[in-house]
This record gives sequence, structure tokens and C-alpha cells, in this order.
Amino acid sequence: MDAATDPTGAVATGIVATGLRRSFGRVEAVRDVSLRARAGAVTGLVGPNGSGKTTLFLMLASLLTPDAGTIRIGDVDPIEQPHAARALLGWMPDSLGTWGALSARETLIVTGRLHDLPKDAARARADELLELVELTSLATAPARVLSRGQKQRLGLARALVHDPRVLLLDEPASGLDPAARVELRHLLRRFAAEGRTVLVSSHVLAELEEVIDDAVFLLEGSSVEAGAAIAGRRTRDWRIRVLGQPTDAAASVAAALEWSADAVRIDRSDLLIALATDDDAAGALRRLVERGIAVTEFAPAVGDLEQTFLDLRGGESA
Amino acid sequence: MSGSRLWTLVRLDLTQRVRSVAWYVMLGVFAAILVVVTALSLLSFSYAGGAGAGAGVYSVVVFVVLLLAVLVSPTLSGNAINGDRDAANLAPVQVTLATTAEIVLAKFVAAWLTGLSFAVIAVPFMLVAAVSGGVDPLVVFVSLVVLIVEIAIIAAIGVGLSGILARPLFSVAVTYLVVAALVIGTPIAFTLGGAAVRTEVTQSYRSYVYDESGMTANPPECGPWETTTYEVPRFDTVWWILSANPFVILADATPARFDASGYPEDLFGNFSYLVRSAQIPPESERVSWDDCARMPQPQQQLTPEQLYNQTTPSWFVGLAVQLVLAAALLWWGGSRTRTPSRTLPPGTRIA
Repeated sequence: MDAATDPTGAVATGIVATGLRRSFGRVEAVRDVSLRARAGAVTGLVGPNGSGKTTLFLMLASLLTPDAGTIRIGDVDPIEQPHAARALLGWMPDSLGTWGALSARETLIVTGRLHDLPKDAARARADELLELVELTSLATAPARVLSRGQKQRLGLARALVHDPRVLLLDEPASGLDPAARVELRHLLRRFAAEGRTVLVSSHVLAELEEVIDDAVFLLEGSSVEAGAAIAGRRTRDWRIRVLGQPTDAAASVAAALEWSADAVRIDRSDLLIALATDDDAAGALRRLVERGIAVTEFAPAVGDLEQTFLDLRGGESA
Repeated sequence: MSGSRLWTLVRLDLTQRVRSVAWYVMLGVFAAILVVVTALSLLSFSYAGGAGAGAGVYSVVVFVVLLLAVLVSPTLSGNAINGDRDAANLAPVQVTLATTAEIVLAKFVAAWLTGLSFAVIAVPFMLVAAVSGGVDPLVVFVSLVVLIVEIAIIAAIGVGLSGILARPLFSVAVTYLVVAALVIGTPIAFTLGGAAVRTEVTQSYRSYVYDESGMTANPPECGPWETTTYEVPRFDTVWWILSANPFVILADATPARFDASGYPEDLFGNFSYLVRSAQIPPESERVSWDDCARMPQPQQQLTPEQLYNQTTPSWFVGLAVQLVLAAALLWWGGSRTRTPSRTLPPGTRIA
């Protein structure tokens, strides 16, 4: 059903999950998750701690049987055909162990051998991946001396050993320095451009926003339709910075917008105003500029993804 | 089942052990123990006058290797699977093409080979024994085979339990308990069982009739038979319990060698004789003293060799029981490790 063909002619392999449920004893980790991740796109999985992201990944990665629901990786059911699914899947777990006594290169060679790569191919692939995640200089150091970020990069390389069509990355950016995060974003885009399916979770929503094509929101074990939340959104905060950051900026902005003074909030040296729609935002900005206020910055206070996420949480608790 | 994946996993496990310093310290301590044991047993068996000394020393070395394997193997194998799970190293292997059977089997083979390294360290000491003379090649062959199998059994028990139980510390402890049940539990059960099942022995005696001055008539007159009864433990009803003991299996399986006067030449024979004597039921009636017997009654004392030849070997029963136990635990551990998993050991995350 999902075996569309991508431009390169290869059969695209997406993820389709419907009605997934899984509980551990009395704890319902995943209640009702349906999601679709397209091939050739990066899909973000967004949810608070304990919303069932890791359990969901375990089920997708063919390690855990759902209590109910179905999963298809391309046309493979990872529960019925785990072997076939594992050849397609590259999974990077959130808690990642390393074989402390083995070097990064050995780790990748062993993983390659476990994916049935011949010895020489496994060696060549290991060097290629060390290059890709920039661990070449540490290739022979035992993994126990690697820093958290370096281990994380090794984990990513390990998930890529068998050139998987589908990538499941659970918090791949945690522990990475800013440069490595940028690098990771480029990598994810490249994977998508190569026609792979990329499902990635992260807490750093601003960062996720820059890389994903689609988003799946997870709340208390259920996937949530984001469209409704966006439609139901009442207002959104916009951040305004005025040149020189004068102390009376709030008053002058309020005056320019013909609002009461307390509608303009002060956040450190910036101002925050709540606006309902993008049209309102455009109108407000035009007005400020017309009234001669030297606006140096006018932007949403939080990213789209974060706003949606906050709206969803607010909706839940309301 | 793929041979290359299996071997990759075995090598992965062994590489990690070989690269830890603790491992070499342990082997060094073991070698030091063997030096002392070999020297002492050379001294203590020297009464045999050269020819038999080697056999004695050899058997002691093999027993010590088994002892060490029994003491150390549970720590080498008892956290094989759950330890990896705790270190978040199991799931990354499970998502490769390696099957559960391969993973569990590789853990077992690696633990077995690790245990066997103790036997390898002991090889020079066995050679010392061989040089001392009197070592029968058949004894060497059989005892080594049994040693290797016993080490495999303990490794399998440990790996199996590490798959069944969630906490590494707990599964190591349980492995120790299972091994202790076999090693120490069997003699305790044997002793208590034998003591619990008692039978009465009627002991009779008679003496001459003495007069007041302590003289007998001439010819002396025989007094009446007098009897007393007492209870004896019936070890012959519980001797089979001992057959599950690894040391008994090793001793009993190895062909016993006796010297010219019918006494065992090595520790295997001595041990086997000791255990097999338990098979002989006590006499229910015995004559402790008879003044009127013409001749002193010939004591029907069997030599160890005669007794050994009269009694039943039991090692294969014990070995079969152990093999079934080990295989069952390994299978159970494997089925608890299977992915995609339906149930999880309580309190674990599988990643």
C-alpha cells in the first residue's frame, strides 16, 4: 500500500502504523498511536518525556510486540517477519550501549558482520562511516574513552552500517555539540534526499523544526492530530525588539498599536505581544513601522513546532 | 543459524574479556594456586614411589580445575544476557540479522571457552604429572572430556539464568545457588536422607558361662545368645543423590586404576570408591562376638577394587540430569530473550 516509487526508481519504503497499543503491566506506555512516515522525507516525532516515544520506537524496530495494532515497514510486518524488517531498519536507541573494550572501528565491523557483510566489505563500510560521522581520528581508541557526543555519533554510524532504507533515530542530537548538530541536520536531509524514510525524535523542537517535513505529535501514549490544535489556536506570542532597547519601548508600542499598556509584556529587553493570525502579525508590523518605531526584530516567540506542542499540551490539561 | 554471525558474536564476547586486566589477574592467581597444589601433591603422592605419583598429581590438578571452574564460572556466565541488557548492548545486537538462538548460543560458547581457559592454564601442570609417570592415557582422555562437559554445563546454567532473570546480580547469585546445590547440596541431601531413612540392626553375641570366680567349666559351656538392636542410616537408599555432583561424576566416569593390593592409585579412584561404598546395604543382623565359635570368624573385608567392581556406576545418570537441566535453562533463557518480545522481565527496559 505504501510501495510508491521514488524518482530514482527504487521502491520507496515508508512506515505505516495503525492503532498501536502496548502496556507494561498496568502502565499503558502506548495507548493509541497511528502514524505515517513517508519515504524521502524526515518525519519528526514530538512528545513530552514519558509520552511513549521510546516504546513506539521499540515496536517499530521489531523488538517489542504491540498489544494491538499493525505496523508496516514498506510491505514488511516487523512482528511477523523481524528478520526481513531488520534488513531494512536502522535503529539508533536513546540509551545506547557501547562495547567498552572495542574501538569505534571494531564496533562498526562487528555490526557489519552481524548484518552479513563480508569481512572486507564490513571493514570498508566501517571506514566510510567513521569518515561520515567524523570519528576517523578516534577510530582505534576504545569506545569507553569516547565522550557522550562521540558515542552518539558512533551510535548513528552503527545504525547506518547496512545502508538501511528506514532510519529510526531516538534523540540522535542529545549530547552533540552545535557543530555536530548542524552536521546531523545535513545528514538527515541527505538521507531523505536519497529516498530513505527518516523518523526522528528530539526534545529540541526548534532544531527539529529546521529539519523535518512532517511531524507526529505524541501525548500520553496517543498520537494527536496536529491540524485541530493549530486550527483551535487562539493567539500566538510574537517577539519585538526595538532599536536601542529604550525603556519606554513598551509604552510606545502599545500606543502605536492603540492597545492598552498591559497588553505589551516585557521579556528581558524584548517585548511580547499576542496575535491571533499571521495577518494580524503583518498588520501590527506595518503599523509599528508606519509610526516610526525602529523595529529590529519581529518574529514568533516560539517556533511553530513548539507552539503546536504547547497548544496540544494546553488542550490536554484544559 | 549462521556460522559467521555466531562466531562474530563469540569473538565479540571473548575480545571484551581478553582485553580486561581483571581477567589476567584471575588467570595469574589460578596459575599460582596450581603451582602450590601441584607441589604439595607431588610431595604427598611421593610415597607411591614414582610410578603412581603422576596419576595422583594429575587427578588432583583436574579436580582443582573443576573446583575453580565451579567457583568462577557463575560470575563469567551468570550475567551474560541481562548484563548486556543492562549496559544497553543487547538490543543493538538484536536488531541486526543475528537471531536469538545465535545470540544465546554465542553467549554460551563464549562462557564455555572462557571456563576452558582455566583448563588450558592447567595443561603445564598436567604435563608435570605425566612426566612423573603412571598416568594412564585413558584416564587422561575420559577425565578431560568430563571436565570439558562439566564446564559447559555450568556455563549453560549461568547463561540460561541470565536470560531468565532480569537482574544480573540476582542471576549470578542464583547460578551460584544452583551450582552449590549440585556441589554442596547433594552431599547434604545424601547425608540427611541417609540419616532419615534408618533400619534396625540386630546384633547378637554370646559368651561362655562364667562362675563366680570368673572361671569357665571345662569344656566351657556356651551361654545363650543375647541380642541388642540399634539403628543405622541407610545410605544405600540415597546414594544416587550423589550422582548429580560434578566431582562425583568426574571421579566415577574416569576409569579407576588400582594398585597390586587393590587400592586406588589416584584421587578419582579414591573418591569413586568412597561414593560407591555407600551403595552397600548394612547387614540387618550381625554377630559382634561369639566365644563359642571355633575359629575367629574370617572378616569378609572387600578390597576397594573388589567393591568397585561389584557396585554400579552412576555418573551417566547424574550427567544426564545435569545436561537436561542445563539445556532446559538455556532454552528457557532463550525464549525469554526472543524478539519481538511479548512479555518482559519485570522492571526491565529492553533497550
